[in-house]
Amino acid sequence: MADYVLEVENVDKVYGQGETSVQALRNISFRVRKGEFMLIVGSSGSGKSTLLNMIGLLDRPTKGKVIIDGIDTSTLNDNQLSTFRNSKLGFIFQFSNLLSDLTVLENVILPRKIQGTLENAEEEARTLLRTVGLESQMHKFANKISGGQAQRVAITRALINKPTIVLADEPTGNLDSLSAETTVHLLKSLNRKLNQTFIVVTHDSPQFGDVDKVVTLKDGKIVEGELEASMI
Amino acid sequence: MDYRAQIGIRFITRRKGSLIAASLAVAIAILVVQVNSVIFQGLYDAIVRDLTNYRFGHVYITRQEDFIKKPAFVLVNWLERIPYVQAAAPRIDYSAQINSTVNGQLIKDYQVPVIGVDPVLDKEASTMYQTVEGQYVSFRNSIVLGAITDRDLGYPQIGDTVKLKFKDQHGNDVLKRFTIVGITKTAGSVGLDNSVIVNIDTLREIIDRPQQTQSILVRLNDPTKDQQVRDLFLSAFPSSADKFKAQTIEESAELTLSGFRSGIALINLVGYFGMMSSAFAVVTIQMMQVTSKTRDIGVMRAIGSKRKDVLLVFIFQGMVIGAIGAGLGTALGVVYTVYAKETHLTFQGSLALEVKYNWMGIAQTDILAFVLAIVASIYPAYKATKLEPVEAMRVG
Repeated sequence: MADYVLEVENVDKVYGQGETSVQALRNISFRVRKGEFMLIVGSSGSGKSTLLNMIGLLDRPTKGKVIIDGIDTSTLNDNQLSTFRNSKLGFIFQFSNLLSDLTVLENVILPRKIQGTLENAEEEARTLLRTVGLESQMHKFANKISGGQAQRVAITRALINKPTIVLADEPTGNLDSLSAETTVHLLKSLNRKLNQTFIVVTHDSPQFGDVDKVVTLKDGKIVEGELEASMI
Repeated sequence: MDYRAQIGIRFITRRKGSLIAASLAVAIAILVVQVNSVIFQGLYDAIVRDLTNYRFGHVYITRQEDFIKKPAFVLVNWLERIPYVQAAAPRIDYSAQINSTVNGQLIKDYQVPVIGVDPVLDKEASTMYQTVEGQYVSFRNSIVLGAITDRDLGYPQIGDTVKLKFKDQHGNDVLKRFTIVGITKTAGSVGLDNSVIVNIDTLREIIDRPQQTQSILVRLNDPTKDQQVRDLFLSAFPSSADKFKAQTIEESAELTLSGFRSGIALINLVGYFGMMSSAFAVVTIQMMQVTSKTRDIGVMRAIGSKRKDVLLVFIFQGMVIGAIGAGLGTALGVVYTVYAKETHLTFQGSLALEVKYNWMGIAQTDILAFVLAIVASIYPAYKATKLEPVEAMRVG
């Protein structure tokens, strides 16, 4: 049990009620071990972003459980979920979603400020920014750097709190091919170097090459990947 | 710095248009209240000042019925022994029928207030003499016409004569001719513009009230001691035979001032309604801020900010708006106050306003505006906390 940093058990998600209801996820189950690099793939509308939102505790499943680090998140209230997201999860979004009114460095430190653990935060942020090659950009405002650079800053921000899992939603979806390649390379090298668990939603799985696990969704159901194992 | 304060300050300071608009709304509201205060409180204080200077002094002593029988010099001497008293002077308020003859033609014949003054003591206790073009009353038959009386009489000149018909205390008509020595004109007609001023001894003689007085104006060198002087006088002359009545300027001019006070209260109310309008402007601008920052709110929530943290971000924004608006409004208000004071600003070109630096009032207005800006931010901030992270990032 302790081997798994994430356990998704029989998760359903239904939007709306009655005749207008839409079932976005159906009986999703899988597990992820620490240090694994996992892809969630599927065509548009297959439910992969919805699934990522469930794992990221940004939305609650209609049925089923999401267990992270052995904690059943369905028992947590709104404030506890916020604290949990801050300490256990890192987010990388398609559009980087940096706060444009903060500098690169301030964006990276923000999760630590929210956590209230500022000791060595700036130093660690500088080290991470150096790792992604953005040390020279750290005092620029976030809207003054390129899309590829912004995505690397977002990766750094996702890692600053040393989360259990980093969740990435189409991290290369908004980048040119060169920046996309750099981002993929960065994610995979961080996975190896830091033994950091990554769960990446993408519609372009070949871009990521060999990974530890791939879950393929279609119409809200797992059609390939972990399904069989989790059903045991 | 607290990260919520940092983000709140950055959100608003990097949207200069919103910051300027919201701060200006607060600043203008404060300016309106302060300008109202300078003009209308200044007008009120100017009226109090002029009523003090021309009509009542700081303490006004009368008798509850009839004339004061005790010789005026006794009361004046007693009063002038009090350290706070600068001077005291007796007066008689009476009335008479007046007419003027120009080129042998009767111009006017009507009832006019007649003020009897002591030519020497009155200059100590009142500044009435400073408003006179020509001379103040001096010799027994001299008269100073108020500017309105002078106008009503067809502008007789200094040196001309006017005839007044009095009724003495026994009801007998007494006719007396006076020589005009001056014309008194006061800004805003707060003085004796509709009256005539004569020598008090002449008036006493005409109405057959030797040694009697109707009122005593007491001028203080420290106006804050008016109640003390009033009480001292009343305790020194408690006799039921005297039946003295002593009043401070606020008491003696109550009838005139109460209307003004209501007017000022109304004007202030209008000012504070203006402040409420500025609060609505802040609400609107803050709502726009929330809308434009929806994605950022979603991101903050996603990476761990709680709803109350989002609330605080926008409350801090309101504090920035309130602080800048209050600062700007105060600065503009103080500049206007200094301008009004230094240039002796007049009301409708006549009455010089009595401008005072009311720091307590300014501070109260500032605090109110600051608090209103924060209160006005609560609803937009609350709306921001209601955003769900996924939805906020999707629509932002």
